[in-house]
Amino acid sequence: MIEYIDVDVRPILRAGGEPFSVIMSALERLEPGQGLRLYATFKPVPLFAVMADKGFAHAAQALDAGEWEVLFTPAETKQTAFVPRAATFDTWPEPTVQLDNRDLEPPEPMVRILAAAEKLAPGETLSALLRREPVFLFPQLEKRGYRWLGGFSPDGTTYELTVRAPS
Amino acid sequence: MIGASISRWTMSYFAMALAWLFVALALMVARVGFPAAHLASPDTLVLVHVVCIGWLSVAMCGALLQFVPVLVAKPLYSEKWALPALALLTAGLVALLAGFLGLGGRLPAWLWLLPLGAVLLTAGFGLIVIDLGLTAWQRPTGPARFVLAGLASLCATVTFGAIFAFAHAGWAGSIGASILTSGVPLHAIAGLGGWLTLTAMGVSYRLLSMFMLARDVDDRKSSMTLAAGALAISIAVVGGTFAIWLSSGLNAVLSVVAVLGLATTILYGRDVIEIFRSRKRRQLELNTRMAVLSFASLAASGLLGVMLVLTGAFAAQLGAFVFLVIFGWLSGLVLAKLYKIVAFLTWLETYGPVMGRAPTPRVQDLVAEARASKWFVIYHMAVWFGTAMLLADQPSAFRAAAAMMMIGIVGIIREVIRTRQLADVQSPLRLPDGACAPHLLFARS
Repeated sequence: MIEYIDVDVRPILRAGGEPFSVIMSALERLEPGQGLRLYATFKPVPLFAVMADKGFAHAAQALDAGEWEVLFTPAETKQTAFVPRAATFDTWPEPTVQLDNRDLEPPEPMVRILAAAEKLAPGETLSALLRREPVFLFPQLEKRGYRWLGGFSPDGTTYELTVRAPS
Repeated sequence: MIGASISRWTMSYFAMALAWLFVALALMVARVGFPAAHLASPDTLVLVHVVCIGWLSVAMCGALLQFVPVLVAKPLYSEKWALPALALLTAGLVALLAGFLGLGGRLPAWLWLLPLGAVLLTAGFGLIVIDLGLTAWQRPTGPARFVLAGLASLCATVTFGAIFAFAHAGWAGSIGASILTSGVPLHAIAGLGGWLTLTAMGVSYRLLSMFMLARDVDDRKSSMTLAAGALAISIAVVGGTFAIWLSSGLNAVLSVVAVLGLATTILYGRDVIEIFRSRKRRQLELNTRMAVLSFASLAASGLLGVMLVLTGAFAAQLGAFVFLVIFGWLSGLVLAKLYKIVAFLTWLETYGPVMGRAPTPRVQDLVAEARASKWFVIYHMAVWFGTAMLLADQPSAFRAAAAMMMIGIVGIIREVIRTRQLADVQSPLRLPDGACAPHLLFARS
């Protein structure tokens, strides 16, 4: 019997934030044999491929008002390949570098964040304030094995990003 | 993958689009199509479709494949469809043009080429609409809504065009024939106004505020602009179709559409001025300065349209009006943004992997704006001169203007190729360890 852990990313999405990191961190906390029950404000189609790569099958069900409930179930064959890591966002250390990149013209914010990230010791974090969601930065961080958490401030004018170096 | 990565085929779209623009200008210099031929002649159809499909639509599709994922911060629905779509669009356009040349007696009259072209173009645009639509739909806010309205207009444009193509071949019955007789203005409004203009407006909102460090335009304001524009296109398409069905003439519908179109232009002008006013960056880059020239052409098109209607000369001077819209406003904006997009993508592709690990050049180091500016200025001067010569009914002087536009375009193409080749980057920074030189026609992903 699969036990499902609930992850509700609807508040993050409604605030204009990016829930990917939250979902990934929840995924890492899963015990073998556990699945993920995700609530989202839209059908998270791109996530299906990501989760399939990690060995999860999906079953999506539409809720009221265009919202979706998706069950991610670990596939039997992949179960042993998936090793949950202990690290969660609760254990992220305070940022060692703080950048205010709000008044830099693109792509200078990305350049500075990557340059600062390269100087982090393993497991250290940096935080940055930006004017926009750094969409071109994410693939670069991903390729280098960094993790990140980001979202807009409630007034929607500042994007707050935390980046953690691989430990 | 989260966020936006580099679209592999955007450069291929741009290269194909610029090649068609070159063909279009060569046709004008060689006196094929308007103004040497009548506005509705097969030669003019060739010219108009080379410009609107080959140049503007292909360039717009290439830009959107890169830009829509940025707008919604989601990856493209399917990167795999981009190249087949380009192949279908190119093959469809070639078939369509061959069909038009057949209509005009320049090729054997194989009229089945027109429906064939329409089917291929519908398939190509269909892939694009589904791909971009499903991507934009994930977060349909701000500029993404303009893109969705533009894509809906593209569907209407393609539908009209396909009906015309089948009607030309005699395969569309009496209904098709009557739509062909009266529906051409609706096809043009949906294409130039809905697909190309609304999309260009949406994209410009984000690009302008991004590069000038300005606030995004308030959603309520841009919604008003979009609502006016979308209403104009819906009335043209739905009202116009009803009017054709009732055989009541299109004048009433077109008047309402003209008023709404003018309102959209004015509202857009207000939004753009607000972006310029609230900018934190005083010094403007080439792409923004040259975009200003295209905004001037848009404003001039609006004024020219009003003056021509008031003096009763609109029908007689339709060619000059459309020329200014296509080459001053749309082409001007697309060229300015293309120049910036190529530089940015080339920079990201080449230096992204080594950024922070080795010294890298800035985006500005990939271009030589002072040298490039003059080609843009030559192009815009030539467009305005050409418009004036069309209004003054001076075909020879118009050809000279087209030749001058060609000089400007060749200069711009050369600058874009130099950017792609990193030719202006000083040598110690040019290719740091771990970076690899980009290919001219596509991106490594």
